[in-house]
Amino acid sequence: MFAIIAAKDMRELARDGRLLWAGGLILVLLLVALAAGWNRQVQLNNERSAGQALDYDAWLHQGYRHPHDAAEQGMHVFKPEPPLGVFDPGIGPFVGSTVWLQAHRQSEVKFRPAQDATGLQRFGELSPAWLLQVLVPLLIIVIGFNSMSGERERGTLRQLLSLGVPARSLLLGKAAALASCAGVLIAPVGVGFAAFLVARLPAGERLDVVYRISWLAAGYGLYLGLFVFLTLAVSALVRSSRAALVILLGFWVAATLIAPRTASEAVNLLYPTPSRLAFDDHLSHDIAGAASKAWAAHFGARTQWDPSLPLSKWGAALKVDDAAGYGALDENFGGLWDTFERQQRAQEWVGLVAPVVALRGFSMGLAGTDFSQHRDFSTAAETQRRKIQDIVSEDLIKHADPLGNAHFTYKAGPELWASVPPFKYQLPSVSFALAHHWGSLALLAVLFCLSVALAHYALSRPLMR
Amino acid sequence: MLDAIAVTKQFGAKRALDNVSLNVLPGEIYCLLGANGAGKTTLVNLFLNFLQPTSGSLQIGMIDVVRHPLETKRLLAYIPEQVTLYGVLSGLENLAFFSSLAIGERLPRPRLLELLEAAGLPRQAADDRVATYSKGMRQKVGIAIALAKNAKALLLDEPTSGLDPSAANEFSELLVKASNDGVAVLTTTHDLFHAKQTGTRLGIMKHGRLVEELRSEDVSHADLEALYLKHMKS
Repeated sequence: MFAIIAAKDMRELARDGRLLWAGGLILVLLLVALAAGWNRQVQLNNERSAGQALDYDAWLHQGYRHPHDAAEQGMHVFKPEPPLGVFDPGIGPFVGSTVWLQAHRQSEVKFRPAQDATGLQRFGELSPAWLLQVLVPLLIIVIGFNSMSGERERGTLRQLLSLGVPARSLLLGKAAALASCAGVLIAPVGVGFAAFLVARLPAGERLDVVYRISWLAAGYGLYLGLFVFLTLAVSALVRSSRAALVILLGFWVAATLIAPRTASEAVNLLYPTPSRLAFDDHLSHDIAGAASKAWAAHFGARTQWDPSLPLSKWGAALKVDDAAGYGALDENFGGLWDTFERQQRAQEWVGLVAPVVALRGFSMGLAGTDFSQHRDFSTAAETQRRKIQDIVSEDLIKHADPLGNAHFTYKAGPELWASVPPFKYQLPSVSFALAHHWGSLALLAVLFCLSVALAHYALSRPLMR
Repeated sequence: MLDAIAVTKQFGAKRALDNVSLNVLPGEIYCLLGANGAGKTTLVNLFLNFLQPTSGSLQIGMIDVVRHPLETKRLLAYIPEQVTLYGVLSGLENLAFFSSLAIGERLPRPRLLELLEAAGLPRQAADDRVATYSKGMRQKVGIAIALAKNAKALLLDEPTSGLDPSAANEFSELLVKASNDGVAVLTTTHDLFHAKQTGTRLGIMKHGRLVEELRSEDVSHADLEALYLKHMKS
């Protein structure tokens, strides 16, 4: 029976023009977003892989020079764009993609695309994820707000109920119609693009991306299903279509536009992050303190780079100095990143009233563009930096001049540069993303169940009052 | 077939129905007369289980309406004063939809056209959108839905109100045909003439009470009018 109702509703929606115009617009935007995202990703990946190859080549062919000079120059490593970054760029445009692996100090990831964007970027990037998170719920509201209230106002509900149509069939039929309308727009584009994306990946990466897409489909399915049942519930509970539209639009504005920004500000108050200046000052202070202790312990020196230390010990001193800083770097960056992650977890609770917040975190996570995966890259880059520092310091120790006179004249050659392996970063697997975001998915599932229960309650009450 | 047993319906302090009992047998056309607010539509709504009685019970085919609403609705077809249909669908599509819900299967197009024709809708109008239909044409689609359902009881709430005389006559003929087929018909109306002409039994309601019940054949048009006015003025 519900299939008959769903088919009738879809035919009605197709004929009254709302689906055609609103859905058509969303479809066009979806295609534009995918095309733009794909174009951006191909361009970024080409630039980054070319940049990384050039930088490593420059490292290998830097000629004969003092190892520490080479370490000071360092090299750049680039974060690869995850394949699903096309779908959800996440925090990518705001956190940068390039790290300078320099001596002594861990660098932040730089070159944020948002830096080069116009002020319009503040309105959010047109990505397929944004469309599904913000505009498709609006489409569901626009085509579904009068699903029940309209039947009541026209009098057709009386006709339907007089035929003995059970409330459950009515609910399922209406829900199936709304879901099908959204599905007709999204599914062909989604499946087509997923197949295109997966086919272009190296064989070894395909399965992981297929899993990610499946989980994303589940998360978005729960989120959009939630809007379907919520729309039906409100439409059945209120007396007029106008009231249903006002309530649903109010919820949409509050839950998808206002709440995420408010949540972001609120968690910043709850878990404040230091200013850049304060962070840098604190880090410098900690590094200097750790280094002073290490210099005193290893060399009996009162200050860093104490002139009394023989030059023959400077290789060992560089190693000790770097190693002393590692702890301070780990503590400071770790603390900052932990705060970001605490903010993220706190924001997820806002998902209880604003489901888009829960979905946003889940979507970025499964697309590989969230903070936890950015942190994983930053950690890998820092590991590479330390590897370079250790290699050059070991080389200085190995070639230490007992008299020290030749310390600054020593020059290493291509063999040393080649002993530094190229930076190869492997994106974390889907299980890494799920481990960080299962809570958001569970929250979406709970909210979906609550919306179904609310719709069921709304349609179980006497509909003819 | 349609039984109301000592039914009372209270809306807050207002008593819409007061201890009303009536029964409509298969093959009977029971016309319920009365002024606006007499309780006629409330009784129809109670048979449809859109309202629940404060006391008393209602049965269709000996099945309790409140306890088994879906079962009783299967025995019933309902035509309201304004048959409301989906304007963007054609008459045929509306009939296909409602009849599928009523009988659980999709009728083939020739059968749907046959039903619309039997209800008096011109064949060439079947594929036109209902938004372009007159009230009479919509009413005919409503009748076609009832015919498709092949119901044992018909509930009609002022079905000829607003119809032109010719359409009202056609409608009355259809009711007579249905009763001849053994269908129990309960209709509310203000139209004394058609009630006398079509009905087998007549009931007059006032202030929620059934104040008069008589057989149509026992009363002339003039007597019915006089009796009705007497009750309304008293």
